[in-house]
Amino acid sequence: MVTYDDRAAQLFIYPALLFMITGMFVGVFISFNAFIFPDYFSGEYLHFGRVRPVHVSSVTLLWLLSVNVGLMMYFIPRLCGVSLWSPSLAFCAGGFWWFSLIVGSHSFPWGTNWGWEYAELPMWISRIPIKGLFALSWILIIFNFFMTIAHRRFEKLYVSLWYSMGTFIWTTFTIFVGNFALNWLPEGMSRVNASWFYIHNLVGLVYTPMGLATAYYFLPKLANTPIYSHRLSMIGFWSIAFIYAWIGTHHQIHGPLSQWLQTTSIVFSIWLFIPVWTVVYNLFATLQKDWTKYLESAPIRFLMMGNVFYLITCIQGPLMALRNVNEITSKTDWVIGHSHIALYGTFTFFAIAGVYQAVPVMVKKPLWSNKLADWHFALNLWGSLLFLFSLWIGGFLQGLAWANWAEGASYAEFKENLIRIPFLQTLADMRDWWIVRGIGGVVILFGNILFVINIWNTVFLQPAAKRIV
Amino acid sequence: MKETSGKEEGEHPPAVMGKLNRSAILVIVGIILLFSIAVMAVLVAPGFADSTWTTPSSSYQVQMYEIADPQTYMSSVSRETDKLQYVHHLKQDVTLLGFKESKDLQIIAGAELEKYITRDGDPELKLTSRLLMLRDPEGSLRAEAERLQKKWQQEKQEREARASKEEKLKPIQHQVLELYDPGVQEAFSIDLLGGIFQDWVDKEFKILDGSLPQRYPLEGGFVYVLNPREFRITLTREGDEECWRYDAGGRPVKDLAELKSPLLGFHSRQELISLGEEIYAIEGCWYCHTDQTRTLIGDVVLNGTDVYPAPPSSANEFIYQKVTFPGTRRIGPDLSREGVNRPSREWHQAHFWSPKTAVVGSIMPAFQHFFDQDPRRKGKPSMGIPNIRFEAIYQYMMTKGTRITPPTQAWWLGQDSIKTKERIEGQRLGLRRGS
Repeated sequence: MVTYDDRAAQLFIYPALLFMITGMFVGVFISFNAFIFPDYFSGEYLHFGRVRPVHVSSVTLLWLLSVNVGLMMYFIPRLCGVSLWSPSLAFCAGGFWWFSLIVGSHSFPWGTNWGWEYAELPMWISRIPIKGLFALSWILIIFNFFMTIAHRRFEKLYVSLWYSMGTFIWTTFTIFVGNFALNWLPEGMSRVNASWFYIHNLVGLVYTPMGLATAYYFLPKLANTPIYSHRLSMIGFWSIAFIYAWIGTHHQIHGPLSQWLQTTSIVFSIWLFIPVWTVVYNLFATLQKDWTKYLESAPIRFLMMGNVFYLITCIQGPLMALRNVNEITSKTDWVIGHSHIALYGTFTFFAIAGVYQAVPVMVKKPLWSNKLADWHFALNLWGSLLFLFSLWIGGFLQGLAWANWAEGASYAEFKENLIRIPFLQTLADMRDWWIVRGIGGVVILFGNILFVINIWNTVFLQPAAKRIV
Repeated sequence: MKETSGKEEGEHPPAVMGKLNRSAILVIVGIILLFSIAVMAVLVAPGFADSTWTTPSSSYQVQMYEIADPQTYMSSVSRETDKLQYVHHLKQDVTLLGFKESKDLQIIAGAELEKYITRDGDPELKLTSRLLMLRDPEGSLRAEAERLQKKWQQEKQEREARASKEEKLKPIQHQVLELYDPGVQEAFSIDLLGGIFQDWVDKEFKILDGSLPQRYPLEGGFVYVLNPREFRITLTREGDEECWRYDAGGRPVKDLAELKSPLLGFHSRQELISLGEEIYAIEGCWYCHTDQTRTLIGDVVLNGTDVYPAPPSSANEFIYQKVTFPGTRRIGPDLSREGVNRPSREWHQAHFWSPKTAVVGSIMPAFQHFFDQDPRRKGKPSMGIPNIRFEAIYQYMMTKGTRITPPTQAWWLGQDSIKTKERIEGQRLGLRRGS
């Protein structure tokens, strides 16, 4: 029996939980301070434009990416049958990781924003190369993983390992393009195109394979049943590998990028249905034999609900890429809803399920309170539904109002429509939806505070004598 | 679970590659292959396939960014007011100059410089890269100037005697200036109007003194400086603070270093635009404002003037930006045509200071850190004095939509080469017939 050294996994998972709360707190703050009571707390360091990147960077990098790396440090050794290749290398990487990300993500109010979406981390803060340290720690992490996989005892690679290996290669290149190579491209659209490539791949080739690797590992573990079909998971994997890198440009439909490139991205976006539906069906079919497990276990509920949200995300995504749908949804709050269902509804739900399974195993104690986990799920689900549906409905209505400017036969008529429903009116109409969104955010935040308390108590308060079965 | 099957006990082999079985290699090679094809097609190829990604939109765009911006300087007139002083940095053999007479300006010169003057009614504008300037006539030319001034007064009286009452009320300032050669390699000229456009000529012009300065494109028209007069200053003291003011009788600015010194505080428009781009990034303007007029009727109407729609953004509008902010969300309106739709510096001042009071219903945060406190006012000031951050973001925004084509061929004059108006009106009619 191999004993697994989980200290590195803990080094990534525990701090990530803390930053999940701080990041979401900042999110709730801006949903009130920028939208419900606009600019109530005002000033150079507090206004929306400087605080928003703190929220985004905290929840995407400090929480989601970190917790996913932690979970991979948990399940990759277990799937390989060997302990992590070098724990000390992982500690070293963890040190660079947390230092660069904590400093970088909280520096935005002081004016360090790099200016490219999702790549806001500054290149330098004083003499500290933030982006460089982050990239270095990523290289150290994947080197460690590759060596672990190379030294594995189990010959066959489980699908989670496929996805993980994909992540290592894709993420490395994606981070390199979006954070460094961008500056070497010609100014203008070449950089914009590379930036969209980066933005979309960060979700599609980083969070998606990491999240799916997590789901594919933890669902069979939690439900104690084998995955429904390995062949289906392979189809899903290879179609993701084939399709995702092509579709970044669909963020620029109707924009100044070349039309043929937009069309290419639309075609590939539609093909996304293939990998998504294989994953969704595979996960559902795995649980199909025994749905009572859904009722018994909060982590399984998180996984399954994440799966439902994944399905919705990936129905929305390709449809939003169609030119006529894009005309309505693009640049509205629908987009914000869509990005939250992907990174929150889907991948955060997957990661939460992973944490619920991994932490008790790592500390060898049962979860402190299953009741609290039930509450956590309920609050998260209802909070998310309030949050997402308010943004979708509100955003769609705003998009329709904007499209209304194009009613008529002559430019004079178009202009008349614009005077009748000016831009600010369409903004004023959003306020009620923003209030619902804010309430949803508060509910989610509260639920996740319960989650962190539960994990904290499991690790620190739970008597060690109550051994896990 | 799969991990329990296929268990294989054994020692770790020394060679890493030996342990990588076929499936692992297949995964890695497959991933890299598929990924690199996609990267070649969507990242590398488009830049070569679509020339508009890298070619400028017009000769005016090139000259504005590469010639006019680096040579146009501005600074606050003084610490107390928000007025700006604009100055052109003129260089021998580099800056194109034109000397043109008008109703209220007559230019006189010695025989040698006579050829550089474009008289009222000359068919062509004469341009030169020789560094010449205008001044109040001196020496032998002063008598000539006085004679011309008298003659003009006389003619004016005659005209007024014939004209109706309304015309008489119009006071016209008449000036007679001397064209002279200061004999220097570089100098500074004052620009009393300033602004976001530059003097531009694209037909009926002639360049004297042989060839064109190197940095200019060869065709399509030229930006030039019209009727430059030397920028002269006088240093004064206010309390224990040293100040400067424009003074035609003062001394010239020594060099660029003095112009940019903290005392005078000038910055080139190029520096301001670049700083403005940085401020646009760090303040997160781009989270709420898009910078693209999409190929949608709603967009071209939203950004258009009362009479003409704004043409959709084209790739080549963005080629002079280190960071481009196409944007994902419109919490505020699009800014890609802001320089045309809201050129007023006063409007932006009031709006940045307090958007909610400047525009009822706005949810934009106040940017009062773009202003310094007025030193003379006690207590809470009603509005601060704009500082360099305001000037930078203002200059950056004024590049939006104003530099696509020369001002003589601008879309807001209806000269839209891609016929946006015809297209959007036709498109709607087409849809109606179809439905």
